[in-house]
Formats: sequence, C-alpha cells, structure tokens
Amino acid sequence: MSAPNEDNMSSHAQLSSHFFGDLLDSIIVDVASECHRIARLGLDRNLEEEEEELRLSAQARARVADPSNSGEASSKYVVDIFGQTHPSVANEIFECMNCGRSIMAGRFAPHLEKCMGKGRKARLKATRSSTAAQNRYSRGSPVSTYSPYSNSTSMNRLSNGTPGVAGEEYSNGTFEEP
Amino acid sequence: MAKMTRSSINRPPTPDAEEDRDQEPTLQEIINIKLIESGEKERLKELLRERLIECGWRDEMKALCRAFTRKKGRNNVTVDDLVHVITPKGRASIPDSVKAELLQRIRSFLASAAL
Repeated sequence: MSAPNEDNMSSHAQLSSHFFGDLLDSIIVDVASECHRIARLGLDRNLEEEEEELRLSAQARARVADPSNSGEASSKYVVDIFGQTHPSVANEIFECMNCGRSIMAGRFAPHLEKCMGKGRKARLKATRSSTAAQNRYSRGSPVSTYSPYSNSTSMNRLSNGTPGVAGEEYSNGTFEEP
Repeated sequence: MAKMTRSSINRPPTPDAEEDRDQEPTLQEIINIKLIESGEKERLKELLRERLIECGWRDEMKALCRAFTRKKGRNNVTVDDLVHVITPKGRASIPDSVKAELLQRIRSFLASAAL
C-alpha cells in the first residue's frame, strides 16, 4: 500500500510544481502586459528622464552636504524660495538706546555686549558706580541687563552721544549694571 | 444469404467514438478543471500576486521592463518581448518562503481533492 502512496506523493510534488509554474507564468504575463500598456500609452512620465533626475538629485544632495555652502551664512547671492536675495549681514541702521550711536542691525548684539556690560571697558565704568547695585543685579549674563529697559526712558534722555559713559551718570546707585 | 448483411458490421467506427478516445483528459487536466471550478486557482493566484508585491518582486520586474523599454524605444516594445525579459529573472528570484507557501496550499488541495 505504501508504494502507490509514494507514487502519489512524488506525482503530487510534480503536479504541485507544475501548477505553481502555471500560476507564476500567468502573473508574469500580467506584469508584462501592464508594463507594455504603460510603455505604449506613455504613462511613464519619467521613462527617459529617470537617469537625468537621478543625476540631478545626486547633485543636489552633494550641494546640501557640502560644508562650504552653509545656506544663509554664505555669499550674498543665495536666493530663497521667493527669489529674493538677502545680504549676509542685516544692514538696517538705528540708534543704540544705551549709548546713542548709529548701529547696523546685524552688528547690534556685539555692540550691546560692549556697550552694556560684557566688554572690559563697560564693566570698568560700572564698577565706578555703586558696587551694591552691581552685586544685586550682576549675574554675568547680558540677558539680565535688559530688564532696566522697561523703565529706560530716563536713560534715553540722558544718553546723548556719550560713548558707554552712561553708567557714571547714575552714580547714586539707581542705574543697575553688572 | 446472411453474408451480405454482415459486411455492414465491419464498417469503421463512427468518428465520435474516435474523438472521445483521443481527448480523454490527463490527470493534470482533471486537476486543473477542479482547481478552476472550485475557485481555488483564482485564490491561489491572488495569494501569489499579493506575496510577490509584498516582497518587491513585482517592482523588480517592472524596473526590468522599464530599462528594456528605455533601450528599445517605447513604441517598439511588444508584450512578448517583456515576457521574455522577465521570465528568467522572475522565475529565479521568487523567495523560498513564497514558493513554499504556495506549494503547500496546492498540495493540500490535491490531497483534499482525493486524487
């Protein structure tokens, strides 16, 4: 009885393979037919462009990864998505409210550092005024010096072009400067 | 005498009987008919198609077709061309797990069809 079963099994295996091949061929024809249709109807928009696009995208990726091209900090001729170019340093000019000088916007922060306290000269001026005020408000960071500006109208009136000497005028201790 | 009537017995068999004998279905054909009639063939084909999409096989075949089409020119391509392009690589790159699954299903069907 086992012999016929073995025959059955090997013929089963053969039959199975045959039918699997049948199914596979059928699917291959489906895929080929669909690709043929796409080719003939021109539905594959990028058929010839694909290699071109691969090249372009590789180029773009190289440009982005290139460290010498750091975006906004690079040349003045970088164009943004609206087609505008911006200079690498903001060039609007206004008056510093501490010392009254005309400062370029892009240079304002470094100016403030020197003008208000981080710089050596400014700090020297501050120490000449009351040390109590200095101890109360000094935290070593320029941020803390911004709080006086909420009531800085008095300082505006007095800062009439004297460079960085504003601290001296408040030697009665009300001018807080680290 | 009776001899005259006997000659009619020896005439060749009618064509219908001869056709039947040549077209006796092979085991394969019988199974094929059973597969189709039960709907199992369609289910198996769908299962195979789904597995081949999942594993990226279909995308590979489409890429082969596109490459061939680019070379030959899109209006010069025939279905036959594409079938010949895909078949060797297609048959060879079926994942083993997919093949095993399908063969298992087919074998179960054969067993259940009590052949």
